Amino acid sequence: MSPISVHDDRIVQEVTIKAGAQRVFAALTKPEELLQWWAAEGKFKVTHAECNLQPGGKWLMRVTSCGPDAPRALTVCGEYLTVEPPRLLEYTWILEREDLPETLVRWDLDEKDGYTTVRVTHSGLITEELRARHDGWPLLVTLLKSYIHNEPDIAAKERA
Amino acid sequence: MVSNVSRKRDSVFRAISDPTRREILGILRTGSHSVGEIAQNFRMSRPAISKHLRVLHTAGLVSTRRHGTQTRCQLNAAPLVGVRDWLREYESFWKDSLEGLKRHLEENK
Repeated sequence: MSPISVHDDRIVQEVTIKAGAQRVFAALTKPEELLQWWAAEGKFKVTHAECNLQPGGKWLMRVTSCGPDAPRALTVCGEYLTVEPPRLLEYTWILEREDLPETLVRWDLDEKDGYTTVRVTHSGLITEELRARHDGWPLLVTLLKSYIHNEPDIAAKERA
Repeated sequence: MVSNVSRKRDSVFRAISDPTRREILGILRTGSHSVGEIAQNFRMSRPAISKHLRVLHTAGLVSTRRHGTQTRCQLNAAPLVGVRDWLREYESFWKDSLEGLKRHLEENK
């Protein structure tokens, strides 16, 4: 897995798929399709999905997480902000039990010669307020770096 | 996606979401300080600063030690590791999700 740099306040992941953008967009926005693909063996699985696909419309998914602990069900929901098939989809992402302001998920689809590059960006993870000010996160990164630097145990774990 | 340390992490997020508290963390980077020394950097009252320090203390970001009549505060950045680990959990979640999407679309024509 690519390492994440701690100065990122957002997560960006990309994949290229041999399919048209229309096809990908449908897979991202139709409940019956979400149920088919949104899963990772031994980790999590979407068991229920609702999509009111229009700006301001609500969406909801129930996810069973099957980690090393007993299976747990949790709900993630939000509101569609931008619906521009087949290139752009943007919605808020609210995970129950995480006492955080809502975060933002954005899907960018770029089709070329029968392939679509799908980029998902999850932002707002370190709170809107910190992102807007730009001054909070760099400080925290500095603190974290100096902490890791001064703690040989953690530094060793990092290398492992 | 949600680990059992999430409640602890939430208190860290709450602690770092306030600009005054972040400034206090910045001051403590330079070494341990008494509450009075920290308060000198701000216009607000000392009780107000003490309140912020309590939030940081609850989150585990600041530890205190008594030196005679003085309470000295020290930075502890360890809880921030939990924040980073949480970001990593999310990263692997999206990576797994995209792999699922790719498999679905390329195998079910």
